[in-house]
Amino acid sequence: MTDDLLEPTGAPAIDNFADVPDEQRDPHWYKRAVFYEVLVRSFKDSNGDGTGDLAGLIDKLDYIHWLGVDCIWLPPFFKSPLRDGGYDVSDFADVLPEFGTIGDFVEFVDAAHARGIRVIIDFVMNHTSDQHPWFQSSRTDPDGPYGDFYVWADSDESYSDARVIFVDTESSNWTFDPVRKQYFWHRFFSHQPDLNFENPRVQESVIEALKFWLDLGIDGFRLDAVPYLFEEEGTNCENLPATHEFLKRVRKEVDALYPDRVLLCEANQWPGDVVEYFGADGDECQMAFHFPVMPRLFMGVRRESRYPISEIMAQTPRIPDNCQWGIFLRNHDELTLEMVTDEERDYMWAEYAKDPRMKANIGIRRRLAPLLDNDRNQLELFTALLLSLPGSPVLYYGDEIGMGDNIWLGDRDGVRTPMQWTPDRNAGFSTSNPGQLYLPAIMDPIYGHQVTNVEAQLASSTSLLHWTRRMIEARKQNPAFGLGTWEDMGGSNPSVLSFVREFGDDVVLCVNNLSRFPQPVELDLRRWEGYQPIELLGTVHFPLIGELPYLLTLAGHGFYWFRLSPPEGES
Amino acid sequence: MAVRLDATVLAHHLASQRWFAGKGRAWSVTDVRTVAELRAPGLDAPGVRVDLIQVTYDDGGTETYQQPLVSYADDVEHLSHAFVGHEDDGAGGVRWLYDALHDKGSTGLWVEGIATDRTGPGFAFHREPTATELPPGGPSIVVGAEQSNTSLIFGDTLILKVFRKVSPGLNPDIEMHSALAAAGSTHIAAPLGWLEGVWERSDGEPTTASLAMSQEYLKGATDGWELALTSVRDLYAEADLHADEVGGDFAGEARRLGAATAEVHAALARVLPTGRLEGKELVALADGMRARLDRAAAEVSDLAPYADALRGAFDDVAALDEPVPVQRVHGDFHLGQVMRTLQGWKLLDFEGEPARPLDERRGLETPVKDVAGMLRSFDYAARHLLADHPGDPQRAYRATEWAERNRDAFLAGYAEAGGEDPRRQPVLLRAFETDKAVYEVLYEARNRPTWLHIPIAAIDRLAGKQRDE
Repeated sequence: MTDDLLEPTGAPAIDNFADVPDEQRDPHWYKRAVFYEVLVRSFKDSNGDGTGDLAGLIDKLDYIHWLGVDCIWLPPFFKSPLRDGGYDVSDFADVLPEFGTIGDFVEFVDAAHARGIRVIIDFVMNHTSDQHPWFQSSRTDPDGPYGDFYVWADSDESYSDARVIFVDTESSNWTFDPVRKQYFWHRFFSHQPDLNFENPRVQESVIEALKFWLDLGIDGFRLDAVPYLFEEEGTNCENLPATHEFLKRVRKEVDALYPDRVLLCEANQWPGDVVEYFGADGDECQMAFHFPVMPRLFMGVRRESRYPISEIMAQTPRIPDNCQWGIFLRNHDELTLEMVTDEERDYMWAEYAKDPRMKANIGIRRRLAPLLDNDRNQLELFTALLLSLPGSPVLYYGDEIGMGDNIWLGDRDGVRTPMQWTPDRNAGFSTSNPGQLYLPAIMDPIYGHQVTNVEAQLASSTSLLHWTRRMIEARKQNPAFGLGTWEDMGGSNPSVLSFVREFGDDVVLCVNNLSRFPQPVELDLRRWEGYQPIELLGTVHFPLIGELPYLLTLAGHGFYWFRLSPPEGES
Repeated sequence: MAVRLDATVLAHHLASQRWFAGKGRAWSVTDVRTVAELRAPGLDAPGVRVDLIQVTYDDGGTETYQQPLVSYADDVEHLSHAFVGHEDDGAGGVRWLYDALHDKGSTGLWVEGIATDRTGPGFAFHREPTATELPPGGPSIVVGAEQSNTSLIFGDTLILKVFRKVSPGLNPDIEMHSALAAAGSTHIAAPLGWLEGVWERSDGEPTTASLAMSQEYLKGATDGWELALTSVRDLYAEADLHADEVGGDFAGEARRLGAATAEVHAALARVLPTGRLEGKELVALADGMRARLDRAAAEVSDLAPYADALRGAFDDVAALDEPVPVQRVHGDFHLGQVMRTLQGWKLLDFEGEPARPLDERRGLETPVKDVAGMLRSFDYAARHLLADHPGDPQRAYRATEWAERNRDAFLAGYAEAGGEDPRRQPVLLRAFETDKAVYEVLYEARNRPTWLHIPIAAIDRLAGKQRDE
């Protein structure tokens, strides 16, 4: 990528990327990339203060590189009073002091790039913390330069059709400010006032802030809460045309000066609606999360039926060629299922609420392993699905070793405990006094760091960690996973999900047993009559495909990845 | 003039066909005629000759079977499994005749015929008016081994059902699908068209008969029976969890199936005739049920003790003072007749009860009969796997739980979709369930004695309810 970003003084230099040579361009890298979401706070503490930091993250880049990750996603680490996990930003151009400095961040980006790993960061566009100097100025100096940066009103009656998102804590989207003696608008917590995007200066400032980070070399953003940017009377104030216009503008500005950067939007809607964020011509965000897939994977395995999964894939619209879904496994944070869908749109919503296992998990965040009862077979099956379904997979730090969670820490913190490196004190995460840790390390007998840690799993060739790394490698060897089409192959057995990913000559057949019992399945593979299925992990040749249905048998929760290899002499 | 296949050759051929119903009886081929010659100019396919073979039974009765034939000048090796016989071509040579349904080169004629509403002497293809676009099709393959039809799938988008046993009149499956498509129902596999043959009977009267029907192929679909068993198996594997606690809970699906059923009934009532049963007609309905009970009780000793209690259910029907609305219904409704697709549940096979004569199958009945059939089916699904766990009271208990939970869900879904709530018609529901269970007792006693416990358990429950009232 680039070299020598850091001058000897340690201050970051601004790089002009306009002259990146064509052979280094990779405009669709995100379509093939494996993403790794890692919290700075949680990965590695370099200075013994009990909290993870950027320097610690740099120390562990070799591990992330070894795992096979293509891109790191860092959730918020800007300056913040931390009343909402960092999504309440008080300075768009500075790093939380406990994580380090801007210099540390640049060093991290460099070190990642040197290992061929890209970096994207969270950027909260919709609102700021009320501690942000803009807001402080806006409330104390209504006629000043920031007077119109937020959405102020004398009454709380406007935009009454907009729903309240955090119904547990907020009763209204308006809160009265005794200093300015007006109401301000906030779609989220009352300490997170919404920016006023009608104001061109707000738009400029946001774009400037984006450029600040792009100049430091990052490869893109996860844009938080984008559906809510604009408001309009008589609407529900979500997904308005003006919002899309602004996002298109952002995209244009980014593309003009910074090639190959990705915009991943957090628009947690039904797939048919999320596609709007790609833009009809792929001129808005390049990536969006496909959120209904995960609970349906879970329910598919619960019900031992492929229908919940097949249905959602059938309902997922085609997206522009330059766009890609982001798919993830854990019960995602920030949002509860109620926030993003309803029974009318999705009959499964009612089923989640009725299923006892699922009900227990709605609204709180769980790690993958506890969600699956630490069942190694299921862990492998879910990981295989994550890596083979259409979209770029987003792994969550620690899931590769099957880390557990601590639900007693409260709904968010339970999944943000220190990364478990070793069986030693503080899981090898920090040399601090254990009492000083930002959150206690997991120490129960099943998931505790004494047994579940990177060191032990590196030493054992049959570990989940080694297995996950091999699977990521297998995925990378076949472009069909990232770039290929999707075709549901149906099959004679409702408990088996079978599909084909096809990209040019690369044809991959994935067969997944959602049942805990061994299952047979017959597949109609006539289109590939004469082809030879070659199992990807072992390269064992399976019988040639004939005209009659192809019979496969699978162990409980077993899966196969086959490359379908054409007959001799054909390509 | 060609000498066609002789009767002995045809008899030999028929005897080995799965769809021939005369096995175990004495019969002979008494007539063979060609009802249609299918040809398509511009289509690179040999012509197909559709022959009708009349079979007369020594103990009375005749049946007519359809055999489409394609002839080649020489042996076609890949069709050898479909070889029927030789014919003299009238010019000193011999033709090899094969079952045309196995010949990919010929089967395209049916699809082309439907697409173009092709007609000719003795036959007429009809394209469904609602089938504005036909699926792409593809090379055909004969599927499965069916008892009365031969089905072909073209590519993975189109299915053609060829009726082996042919009877005069419009096949109810065709009639019902057309009606439902016209009513805009989405709970069926879209009908695409059909083929009928016209010929003169021996008395000179022209007669029409349905020869084949085509509809969209529900790729990747699963039938309700399989899906239900998956759920039951899951429940049996969890020794200490109730039916509503296990992951494989089927209630959501059963509810949606109820809704789909109600919508199909409503659509049928909108576009096909409806009526009412009252007074003498209700008495006749009850009489029929009573007669079947008597016959079954005389034959199956396990049933006899319950007969008195069960009769009460039929007496109640005869005594109904409200007229009972009737309409066209499915007629043979159970879990095997519904398919779960990516667009929800679809109902199939509207031919009606196979054993009944055509005009009875086209009669008007109460939708409660279909509901009763499905409720019985849930019972079967719940108990079917008990055979693998004989004498296990825990699983037997679970089976009852499963059946009750899903029956209730089905009924709730039916009512929610605007159908007449069957739970508010307890007399009819109980009577039809009883009638069906009685039929099942007789069938299992004769054919599958190890399954007899399933309907007997239901009879026990139904008789108990009757006694308690």
